Amino acid sequence: MAEVILKPTGNFNLTVEGEVITPDNFAGKNAQEIGQLLVWQGPQEYPLSNYFEVKGDGAASAEKTSIIIDGDVTRVKRIGEGMTAGRILVKGSTGMHVGADMKGGEIIVEGDTDSWPGMEMKGGLLHIKGNTKDHVGSAYRGSWNGMTGGRIVIDGDAINQVGGGISGGEIIIGGNVKHFCGIRINGGLIVVKGNATRAVGAEMTGGTIVVGGTIERFTPGFELAEVESDLKFNDIECFGEYKKFTGDYAIPQKGKGTLYVSCTNNECL
Amino acid sequence: MVYKNIICPVCGGSCDDIQVELKEGSIDVQNACKMGNAKFQEIVSHHRILKPTIRENGKVKDVSWEESLDRAAEILVNAKRPLFFLGSETSCEAQEVGMHIAEYLGGVADSNATICHGPTVMGIQESGMVGATAGQAKNRADMIVYWGVNALESMPRHMSKYGVFPRGYWTKRGRFDRKLVTVDPRVTPTATASDLHMQLNPNTDYELLSALFTILNGKEPHPSVEDITGIPLSVMKQTVEMMKESNFVAIYVGLGVSSSYGKHRNIEIALNFVKEMNNYTKCNIGALRGHCNVAGFNQLASYLYGYPFGVDFMKGYPRYNPGETTTVDLLREKDVDAAFVMSADLVNHIPADCAKYLAEIPMVCVDIAPCPTTTASDVVLPGVIDAMECDGTFYRLDNVPIHFEPFTDSPFSETKSNEETLKMLFEKIKAKKEA
Amino acid sequence: MQALLNTGSTINEGKLAKGGNKYSEEYTKECAVCWMCAEDYAILGCPEKVAVISRDGKHMVAVYPKVTEAMMSGHVFIPRSIWANVVVEPDTFSTGSPRYKGSPVTVEPTNEEVLSAEEIVLKLYMGGE
Repeated sequence: MAEVILKPTGNFNLTVEGEVITPDNFAGKNAQEIGQLLVWQGPQEYPLSNYFEVKGDGAASAEKTSIIIDGDVTRVKRIGEGMTAGRILVKGSTGMHVGADMKGGEIIVEGDTDSWPGMEMKGGLLHIKGNTKDHVGSAYRGSWNGMTGGRIVIDGDAINQVGGGISGGEIIIGGNVKHFCGIRINGGLIVVKGNATRAVGAEMTGGTIVVGGTIERFTPGFELAEVESDLKFNDIECFGEYKKFTGDYAIPQKGKGTLYVSCTNNECL
Repeated sequence: MVYKNIICPVCGGSCDDIQVELKEGSIDVQNACKMGNAKFQEIVSHHRILKPTIRENGKVKDVSWEESLDRAAEILVNAKRPLFFLGSETSCEAQEVGMHIAEYLGGVADSNATICHGPTVMGIQESGMVGATAGQAKNRADMIVYWGVNALESMPRHMSKYGVFPRGYWTKRGRFDRKLVTVDPRVTPTATASDLHMQLNPNTDYELLSALFTILNGKEPHPSVEDITGIPLSVMKQTVEMMKESNFVAIYVGLGVSSSYGKHRNIEIALNFVKEMNNYTKCNIGALRGHCNVAGFNQLASYLYGYPFGVDFMKGYPRYNPGETTTVDLLREKDVDAAFVMSADLVNHIPADCAKYLAEIPMVCVDIAPCPTTTASDVVLPGVIDAMECDGTFYRLDNVPIHFEPFTDSPFSETKSNEETLKMLFEKIKAKKEA
Repeated sequence: MQALLNTGSTINEGKLAKGGNKYSEEYTKECAVCWMCAEDYAILGCPEKVAVISRDGKHMVAVYPKVTEAMMSGHVFIPRSIWANVVVEPDTFSTGSPRYKGSPVTVEPTNEEVLSAEEIVLKLYMGGE
């Protein structure tokens, strides 16, 4: 695999929109050509080399191109947007929209990310080793469908509206979530290993949510169906006993969503 | 001379029955509420800003209109990404010019909705809305719900003009023909005046709405909802029944719904609930909008640029993502480098971190009286008072456009209205940018 | 004492703000006020002034307490104004609108001076750290 190393050096006083940072755009270009790709900062476009020192050339194809961002890029948005193949490794934290509309390949972020990672993602793997904020894999404003395929893994915590409106794919959160996890989902799988604050599965009309920790405030429109143990969804396993609820009955004529809640951590439900 | 049918430029109620008499050094106002009367007194107040000022080396000094506009244009042209906060206490016409300047400079245009009913507008985008004009509700509604809003204090004449007391065509006995329900964590004067006050725990609006919706769908909500919201299931069931038995339910939401945890999701489920309630009876929902023309910016931005607020022109075309392109977030993340604030006291109404940054970056403002925003500004342009000193358009709380006519003139020979001030500023900006 | 802060309009706040009197003493008296129930006020030791502190401890504002039956225990209210907004959380849930309703705060007795709106701008916002 050909490695292109981007080392942040520029002035990020205003955020930079870095949607050109994808293996698809870097493939077939040498370091100098990559440095000449344009990114937006405010209402102007500037060469990528204004912000990053570029080392290494891209491979002939996106599949064989690996991008390493060597440092924190919290003020760079849209890294890996729409990528179809190849690999991006961020050795730090990123800004908003990392891996938005991603179709294939792999992004690994060693630090944290801002909101909207993997927005409306269609395929590939997005792995965030730290924490993230709102709208993981969600639908964009006014859109009905979030993520439709691929996998998002967050090792740390996410905040609000995880997986809003997803209809496919998998989201696995190692830590905790806050409000509206799995709002309006109609398919796909969300596994939260930690705790959730409230409104889990609100308005869901399909799909599956598993919460391993405690839910502080349960969503009113759910009905207990049965108790199941040791859940298995292909390669994702959740051990222990789970109360299986169906819902959300606040949404008319539906209730086709499934919410599994750990028995040991939610005795009062 | 007595002027009749003057429009009040204070809150979203846009009362159209104000009567004023301008005397030497004083003004006599009839029909306006406490807030409205206070604003009409601005015409003769001693603290009115009458001269443009700029701040130089920490000192504020009076300058000519020409010099202040020059300085303002310089600040905005030199900025990489200016924020245009086009406040609601002015006409759509002035807001429109502001939006065009923002587009021209590749900045961001936003308005009071962003820190007010923005989440309501977002909820509408997600769910659609069953609405009605204020007159419909006045003539038909026999059940009124004030949810998260203290109407008596935030829109003082709403209850008497549209909501609770007026005698409507099908509600001839006024208050006696209407049931009034208030949902509020606080015992407000509105709650005290209600037939039923649901004093829910703060930030549990979503759970309460979700439970009401579940009941409406014929299912039993999970029992934990009683502890969460602090409202007994029996009361929830009774409320749903009351609604179903009414002929016309008018629900008014306030910031209690759109600004507590859940934000647009609270609104979204309320809107869905209202849609479903229409299977049983006529039911509609509307927001009590605090500032006079706050609805106008949403209407204008939507039809000009496709989005209701937080419109980012950075890439030359409009983009919108609340949380990213909205005032509070841009200031918190330090992602703008100059600001233009018109007819709104932004510094007063945003959290400390944002206010601090706003005070740090160059700021131009248009206002009529001293306030935290004028204190923190580098250039202050005197404002003209809409509906008193110039004509124009406001949108009322129910999104009905209201044309207003003045009863006196602008006190400035240099400008007739905020619209004209902005047009002059735009000319200067163009000249500097193209030079 | 930990509490949830609610903010909102009051009729006199509206009257003074719309009348351009934000720098008047009346405005400070109306808005630099933290409403709470009698029980909570007693827990605080019936102080003359209270400090309201944001969750992250970064911001503090001194205001006058007001005892009222309108509040439930654990909840406080400050009229919509610059004092309230010093401690309102800037996080917006990705909606653009900060936590005007339900910001977690700490309330404690204080001897700090209650600043006017103008002093808050000059000292807290324009004076730097």
